[in-house]
Amino acid sequence: MSETASFGLKGRGITISRSEQILLEHVDLNFKAGTITHLFGENGTGKTSLMRALAGLLPLDSGSVFWNGYETSHPEANFTQDLLFLAHNLAMKHELSITENLQFYSALRGQKASKSKLLSVANELDIETLLDRHFAELSAGQQHKVSLCRLFLEKAKLWILDEPFVNLDARTRDWLSSQMMQFAASGGVVIFTSHQAIEGLKIHQQISLAHQTDEVLD
Amino acid sequence: MFFTLLKRELMLARRNWVAILIPLFFFVMVVVLFPFAISPEAEFLQKIAPGVIWVAALLATLLSLDLFYRSDYSDGALEQLLLMASPTQVALAKIVAHWLMTGLPLVLVSPLLAGLMQLNYGLPQGILEANQTPILMLSLLLGTPTLCLLGAIGISLSLAASRNGILVAVMILPLYVPILIFGSATITASLENNGYNAQLAILGALLLFALALTPFATGRALKIAVS
Repeated sequence: MSETASFGLKGRGITISRSEQILLEHVDLNFKAGTITHLFGENGTGKTSLMRALAGLLPLDSGSVFWNGYETSHPEANFTQDLLFLAHNLAMKHELSITENLQFYSALRGQKASKSKLLSVANELDIETLLDRHFAELSAGQQHKVSLCRLFLEKAKLWILDEPFVNLDARTRDWLSSQMMQFAASGGVVIFTSHQAIEGLKIHQQISLAHQTDEVLD
Repeated sequence: MFFTLLKRELMLARRNWVAILIPLFFFVMVVVLFPFAISPEAEFLQKIAPGVIWVAALLATLLSLDLFYRSDYSDGALEQLLLMASPTQVALAKIVAHWLMTGLPLVLVSPLLAGLMQLNYGLPQGILEANQTPILMLSLLLGTPTLCLLGAIGISLSLAASRNGILVAVMILPLYVPILIFGSATITASLENNGYNAQLAILGALLLFALALTPFATGRALKIAVS
């Protein structure tokens, strides 16, 4: 099913529930190409569920999600290639080195993370000396930085980021904001959640989720 | 894509080699216990050997299932795999890696157990056709992949449930019964100088049937587990 050709991510009549509690009911959402969207709301209002539903991990109770005019499950949408979803779980294997972890995810996308590319992003994040260490040996902050490297290494067109600013020092926060703005400027779509306001990040759209109501503010 | 996934599974398994070896030791230890517990008499051991070795192989497979599924589920990697690759491919890569790292070693170590359980006792020496060890290995070679394939469905369905270890055993053991029957019947028939081709053929048929259907079912179950 093809909607009128429009770039970006669109949700039509989305209903999501979790443990028999309705979180969102018949909501239309629009994330245009080149925009950054900030999802906010108290704990338990369904920010993560909404992200997982948009990514296709959580089945929708009703409605559908369109990517560049095609339903996300449609092969023409190329959604799995275009989507980069960083969840709260970092999804890195403790037994593998940082290089191995990052190279695997690039390879799964059919891309190659070259040594030099790895080094340059690791340099920017100050983890270049840790590349051959096992993931388990790093501190929580460093582990988080490693997962952020994926944003730089993998070519995607849609970033869905669950609390990307948590655990980061000020320098890395700035790095991440600038990456997000650069990505949006090149036509990418960013959707992220955060409890704090991020200084210096230009946000195009804010969506607030509230308890037990189906109202979404734009 | 499949080989990228398989390479990763094998690499992870190699890094966890201690955990990988435990089911293998379990397999050997369980079989070793029987002569102590029942009787070291050769004729008797020979009689129970097919059943004992097969039951041990079955339990060892059950024991090793967790390794290939649980950690990916709990650290979020499974989610990432399913976002980027098709569920069937993810499932098949896990099953193949699981068999290569835990099923195949059982096959390779089984001659040791054949000797221990006096499987070749009283058979004419030096006649290759009378040797039971290759038949034991062949039955395990055809049977253990099916154990891995069926086990994959069980573990995938139970990932989201707590107390999954027991749950998997209860769900999967009934499905293992046909493989157990034909696996041990192959060796018993051969010991009694009867033909065993039919039993082997059925093991092979079960393997092909499971190979065709279970990766798809496991993929769907994994998808449900992460939702």
